[in-house]
Amino acid sequence: MPAPRYRSRTYRRVRKNTPSGINKIYYKRRLPKAAHCSDCGDVLKGIPRGRPAEIKNLTKSKKRPDRPYGGVLCSRCMRKMIVKKARQDV
Amino acid sequence: MFEIGRVCVKIAGRDAGKRCVIVDVLDKNNVMIDGDCRRRKCGVRHLEATRQVISLSKGASNSEVVSALKQAGFDVKEKQSKIKADKTEKPRRARKTKINAGKTKKTQEESNSKKTI
Repeated sequence: MPAPRYRSRTYRRVRKNTPSGINKIYYKRRLPKAAHCSDCGDVLKGIPRGRPAEIKNLTKSKKRPDRPYGGVLCSRCMRKMIVKKARQDV
Repeated sequence: MFEIGRVCVKIAGRDAGKRCVIVDVLDKNNVMIDGDCRRRKCGVRHLEATRQVISLSKGASNSEVVSALKQAGFDVKEKQSKIKADKTEKPRRARKTKINAGKTKKTQEESNSKKTI
């Protein structure tokens, strides 16, 4: 019987063949969902998907694109916003 | 529309949202830009033209562009050279080892001399 915490589906189950030939179940935490654009809701590109601890150790440039609103808006929405603002100013 | 002296806003990349001026027209789709962003070749599709046009000569230098933009009433950040004028080197701290930790230089020397004897 697995430990009580492994009986619910909070953990992902990964089957692995061990070197000794036994098929074992490994329990892993599920991944959080991918980052989305706050305007259109599209999945953001260039942002890694992983457990917070894995992402924490990445460099800043690997975490989000280097542009205004990078990691918040997708490039299309950011461009729309800046164009709109530029036209309002004039 | 994209002629020399046209003030534009960059809408792509890390300089997005910054103002720039067209310094040179390279071909149908590419221009040379300078101003609040880095001086570089840029595709026309990455620029949003504004109504302002300032008088500039072809291939104007960065300082000329900045002064012209300031005259036109734009606030532009001036580039600072990366090399600092008076860079005084700090004296290096002596490396701390377990043996010498907490000892002054004199006592360190003494202990070293004792070892050699």
